[in-house]
Amino acid sequence: MTERKRLSNSQISSQSKRPSSSFVAQEEDEDAMLTQPSTSQVQKGLEKLSPAQVDQKTAEVVQYILVKDQKKVPIRRADLVKNIVKDYRTVYPEIIKRASRIFEQVFGLKLVEIDPKNHLYILVNNLDTPPSNPSPVEHPSNPKTGLLFVILGVIFMKGGVVRDKLVWNILKKLRVDSGLKHDEFGDVRKLVTDEFVRQRYLEYNRVAHTEPVEYEFRWGQRADMEVSKAKILEFMAELHDQDPRSWTQQYKEANPTHTSSQASSSSHR
Amino acid sequence: MRKAAAGGDEEAPLQNGSSGRRRAEPQPVEGDDRNSSPGGLQDEYDDNDLGRRREIRSKYRDLINSVQQNREDMLSPSNNRLTEVLDEADKLFQDVRQAREAVLDAHLLVVTTDLGKEKASQLISEGSAFDSTVFAEHLLSFMGLNRLEDEDDEPPNGGAGDGYLPKDAWHRLARRAECCFRTAPSFHYMMGSFYAEPPPPKQRLERQKKAPSKEAKRIMPTQLKKMEESQEEATEKEVERILGHLKSYYQEDPSTPISYYEFVIDPNSFSRTVENIFHTSFLIRDGLARLYLDEDDKLPYIEQVEEVEEEARSSVSRKQCLVSISQKTWRVSSF
Repeated sequence: MTERKRLSNSQISSQSKRPSSSFVAQEEDEDAMLTQPSTSQVQKGLEKLSPAQVDQKTAEVVQYILVKDQKKVPIRRADLVKNIVKDYRTVYPEIIKRASRIFEQVFGLKLVEIDPKNHLYILVNNLDTPPSNPSPVEHPSNPKTGLLFVILGVIFMKGGVVRDKLVWNILKKLRVDSGLKHDEFGDVRKLVTDEFVRQRYLEYNRVAHTEPVEYEFRWGQRADMEVSKAKILEFMAELHDQDPRSWTQQYKEANPTHTSSQASSSSHR
Repeated sequence: MRKAAAGGDEEAPLQNGSSGRRRAEPQPVEGDDRNSSPGGLQDEYDDNDLGRRREIRSKYRDLINSVQQNREDMLSPSNNRLTEVLDEADKLFQDVRQAREAVLDAHLLVVTTDLGKEKASQLISEGSAFDSTVFAEHLLSFMGLNRLEDEDDEPPNGGAGDGYLPKDAWHRLARRAECCFRTAPSFHYMMGSFYAEPPPPKQRLERQKKAPSKEAKRIMPTQLKKMEESQEEATEKEVERILGHLKSYYQEDPSTPISYYEFVIDPNSFSRTVENIFHTSFLIRDGLARLYLDEDDKLPYIEQVEEVEEEARSSVSRKQCLVSISQKTWRVSSF
């Protein structure tokens, strides 16, 4: 399990390999009802239903995902099928296709499948982020974003992995003690190792062969999709009053010449 | 230049590890001198020198602890503590004679090698290194930390230290960091969602169930008491009724004796017969009636006992007898 995760994180180039290897696992895990129907099956299913019925189901799926996204915990395909799609599962691929179109065209969001093995979906903002920050006061900010920036930033600058002690150490310097209750974040340790992990912003794994036990943090799948490494580096450079290019390694990773990682695509706009 | 020094740090444990015996390296000349003279004397009894060994072990443990606890600080490129730790360990190892101390030395080696590896990984990354301590300092300034008031008494009283960081510190950082995130704005109903209240009805149901059961419990014991009382009373009444009959038969015709079985048997009901026998036995026990066998036909007869006689009878020894009656005998005798 950790092996796989490590692969997926450190080697972006191996991403193309992932779906094929996980297909085998998918067939083992999931009941027959969830296996992807073939295109001909979808066609047959669509013939039996009226367009209005399919539209109605699509609207239900869109609403379900929107409401579920409030907690930012990825949505499982199994839940989606069980609670909403139900008898329409033969035309599931068509419904999800239409739903993602609605998200893109109506809401400016993008529906992304982040885990091909467990079929998890997240919503990502598909609109261009404003170049700098023109609206400093208007909308309320979520302090957790700041905390996430610190942790993700450190992981990124440290080459993708950091020991948990380093994170607690930095947070302590920022007056956020992982052992105490924080005014803004409450139980910080729980927020970081549980909520952020469930939301897939972070991966939190035990380091093998350590005595006493140590843990390490990596970027989670949501962070890969949502967070722009180039923007992080830009902010880092601003903080340090330094040229982002001086961190050669990180600069290369954040601005790859070939567009392989999705996170970096935003920086090209 | 710093990097070169750090690189040296990193190699040191490897060399020590591969050579196995630190003695093989000639570096701490002074230490060698100091140790060789007492070393010769010690050889005979150093195995028993528990105090010395204990001291070595405790020093090793202190070193290991200090490395583990100050790990993050030692990782900083400018920190030379790793070199110092290794020098100290070298000195300590000159006195190591037994496996137990050597194990601790090996453990320290593991810890320092791990640290060395981490230091090396900092060098591998091209361009400028990233120092998390510096990062934290920059973040604090960005968040609006008032350093002038902060410097003196920040670490000990954490609660008071927080005061110097403005309340909106994390919001300030979040607002700037937001542009790094392409988070989908979360969707909320303007009027909120419907107010779901499934729990209250459940509670009401429980209460309703509980209430009657309590009342029932209260009723049950009183009912039982009444039943017991009424049974006792019934027996007493029955006994009195039978005594009344016995008296009336006697008064009707005092000369003819009353046959016990005639008195007791109900020709229409066996159970009534048994009941009669039972109640009559109370009369006899209480001395209100007397059973005797007739001298002619050897059948039991019953007669009332007079009050005066009763007192006299108290001195007479009591006798017990069993009356048995079955359905068969009842049927025969009732005809």
